[in-house]
Amino acid sequence: MSDTPVIDASVGVFFASDKDLRGHLAEPFASRGYPHTDVSWFAPVAGPRYTPGSELPKRAHPGSDPVATGKAVLDEQGADIAVLHPMTAASTFPDWHLGTAVLAATNRMLVERWLDDGPYADRYRGTIRVNPNDIDSAVAEIEKWADHPRVVQIGIPMQSQAPYGRAQFRPLWRAACEAGLPVAVHIEMGTGTRFSPTPSGITRTYAHLAAYQPLTFVWHLFNMIAEGVFESFPDLKIVWTDGGADLLTPMSWRFDTFGRPHLEQTPWAPRIPSDYLPEHVFFVQGMADGPPEADFAAEWLDFTGKADMLMFGSAYPSWQHTTPDSLPSAWTAQQRAKVLGGNAARLYGIELPSVTVSTT
Amino acid sequence: MTVQAEQPRQLGEQTVPLRVVDCDVHPTPKRGEFEPFVREPYRSLLSDRKRMAGNGVYYDAPDYHHAMAMRTDTFPGDGNFAGSDPELTFRQLILEAGSDIAILGPLPERGQTTEEVVAMTEATNLWQDSCWLDAKHNWHQRYRGSICAAIGSPPDAVVEIEKWAGHPFMSQILIDAEPRPAWGDPKYDPVWAAAVKHGIPVACHLGRGEHEQLPMSPVGFMTYNHDLMVTYSMLAVNQVMSLIFDGVFDRFPELKIVFIEHAFSWILPVMWRMDAMAAARSGELGLKRKPSEYVRDNIWFTTQPLDYPENKLELTRALEWMQADTMLLFSSDYPHWTFDDPQWLLKHIPARMREKVMFGNAIELFGLPTEVPALAGQKRVIQ
Amino acid sequence: MCGPSEAAVTSSDGRRTRGVVAHPLPAGREHVVATVAEIPPGQHKIVPIGRYGVGVYNVRGRFYAIANYCPHEGGPLCLGRTHGRSVVDPSAPGGASEAREGEFIYCPWHQWGFELATGTTAVKPEWSIRTYPVRVDGDDVIVMA
Repeated sequence: MSDTPVIDASVGVFFASDKDLRGHLAEPFASRGYPHTDVSWFAPVAGPRYTPGSELPKRAHPGSDPVATGKAVLDEQGADIAVLHPMTAASTFPDWHLGTAVLAATNRMLVERWLDDGPYADRYRGTIRVNPNDIDSAVAEIEKWADHPRVVQIGIPMQSQAPYGRAQFRPLWRAACEAGLPVAVHIEMGTGTRFSPTPSGITRTYAHLAAYQPLTFVWHLFNMIAEGVFESFPDLKIVWTDGGADLLTPMSWRFDTFGRPHLEQTPWAPRIPSDYLPEHVFFVQGMADGPPEADFAAEWLDFTGKADMLMFGSAYPSWQHTTPDSLPSAWTAQQRAKVLGGNAARLYGIELPSVTVSTT
Repeated sequence: MTVQAEQPRQLGEQTVPLRVVDCDVHPTPKRGEFEPFVREPYRSLLSDRKRMAGNGVYYDAPDYHHAMAMRTDTFPGDGNFAGSDPELTFRQLILEAGSDIAILGPLPERGQTTEEVVAMTEATNLWQDSCWLDAKHNWHQRYRGSICAAIGSPPDAVVEIEKWAGHPFMSQILIDAEPRPAWGDPKYDPVWAAAVKHGIPVACHLGRGEHEQLPMSPVGFMTYNHDLMVTYSMLAVNQVMSLIFDGVFDRFPELKIVFIEHAFSWILPVMWRMDAMAAARSGELGLKRKPSEYVRDNIWFTTQPLDYPENKLELTRALEWMQADTMLLFSSDYPHWTFDDPQWLLKHIPARMREKVMFGNAIELFGLPTEVPALAGQKRVIQ
Repeated sequence: MCGPSEAAVTSSDGRRTRGVVAHPLPAGREHVVATVAEIPPGQHKIVPIGRYGVGVYNVRGRFYAIANYCPHEGGPLCLGRTHGRSVVDPSAPGGASEAREGEFIYCPWHQWGFELATGTTAVKPEWSIRTYPVRVDGDDVIVMA
């Protein structure tokens, strides 16, 4: 067996109910109308929405109780540390004032309820959610929480009205770098002012959406590289928390090959695109990722340096919940140690007991 | 010069084995050549729109003003555009580069309304038949054509397929990649049914639409030509998922789909991803088979653009893992600037896969002859 | 003006094409390839040395010689356009300007660029084109190849 330290890099945090959220909001926002995290539009059908066993008493939302989550992901699943990511729909509200108010309420709940209180607080690390449609407030929110010892990253939505390479987002990257915090990108829940999730419109099935939407990272990332974001912000670190890292390999070959002669159009990003990946780009391993049973899984993980980018994340309490047991069995012990905890420890500056892999 | 500019325009008795089938070659009309094929009122509308109209490009390939996104050595000497001279294409691509058969993929003039698209598509087929596939220009029998079909209007697409199916030199149906919704929508079923009825593959080439059908990404528009064109593959990823998850191949098990110029190495992880998701949400999808099995049996990809890593061994391994010999068709994209030379492409394909990729798969898929009349002075890429 | 060198890359009907040199000059020695007046600044001439020919370039009075062959896919490199390279320039509208005008050759196929003087590229130095020493002796442009 291995006693590799485990960091669960993706655990979802929810309010117990809409009433709970409204209790954290002041007027005039507490009386407004806004989408819940769970809506009927492209809901998972013919199968679970949340992982079995995550149900809570009094119909509280799965993932809203720090003790229940701690028992599941830390005690039972065996993680040493869990990185929490609050789930919300607020980043895509048309009224960005309302969105910013809901995100601020969410952050306050995360810090008070999960990071500062309870038996598992010292093993939780948190993600502060900010609104890319309200850059000034986003920067202020980052500055507000940057010094909290258990805040380890900034969170923004995958769905946006412009790709993240565009100049309007630069203050966000600057603030994240100054705070020394990585930026996690996660698929926003609920509904909101969003473009179709595919270049050909909506999907017809939930399964298609669930398979495809994590790949949205490709547009953001390649636009960021071409726009020179990583050249301008050498300390910026981006985490794609919905998985899809396998696509990085062929798409990166493609970007290097096709992009090379276009570098004349982008002197602000003069290097071959894949040069900008190491130590800037990280992924959480998703439920649909990896060649699960293939004997070449170890070789594949090393392509494009993915072994140093991937982080185990359970996605608890989502139905896409995974455990360390579901990682590809052909990975080497060293690869497994990196994905289970080493990469996350390096990224988030989390001190872990030294990595020891025993074969007994 | 080792090659004569003018061949005697007649074929001898001698034949050679078909060794390179080039599945993406772009012919374009000479000035004034296309308009006579457009029926009224669209011919007048087209000419009216073109008055005082300049270039509308807004994602530009490198050095666009000088290169026009073409191999700059493919512009004919008569001042017409690259790909407008059947004899020059024959000389540069068939004789000098060694593509034995070129499957032409005309990119029809665009239309703003569905009716206009249908009219332009009809005219494109007529022009192609008269100016490239006719006995005069295809005297060497090395050109094959595409039945262009307006996928945005399935009933009209079916009419066009019925009109041209059976043409001795039409090898495939060709549709645009961009119209919404994705191809799993049942509205397209009549097109797939017509293709299956005639046993003709349906190929899709990327073009460029407008507005949200540019295509636009789920997070808005890209900034440059390279982030747009590289992420264009994501449109094909979605079409593959749509075809499979929405049950098109369960409804049409004989349907054959060819993705032209969408790149292909992404299909390896996409197969894993689809298989994992289909297993997890089988109750919703109700598919008869594993998604990766439909990819192997119903979908092909052309090789250009061949995207390769710093370490070429990684590409070799990926080709083996995806069993690339079951799904790849050689293509050059002549005369576009992203041209892949057949001899260059060949070097990147594992030896045991070369015959299937360069000609074997295409012969089977398109029902091509295994021998073609010999041409004096033609480069033979594979002996 | 058309000499035998031009015939190496131009067909009988005047259209540019890809070709190999049928009767290359012997390799490994000095060749007088042109008079100085024949290749004015900003111009070039392709001469029949080696398998694919050699392009001789005059950039603001300095002469360079490169193989007419792109290491990427084998395109006829010297049919491409020379220009400078883009650099970040915050003082210019759009934030970029062209530096070292005319000092780089860009392949007519895939627009890969190479420095005429060194044959290399900043992006991927390991991909280089062949360069040859050139000198001027009186009116003669002499390539060592």
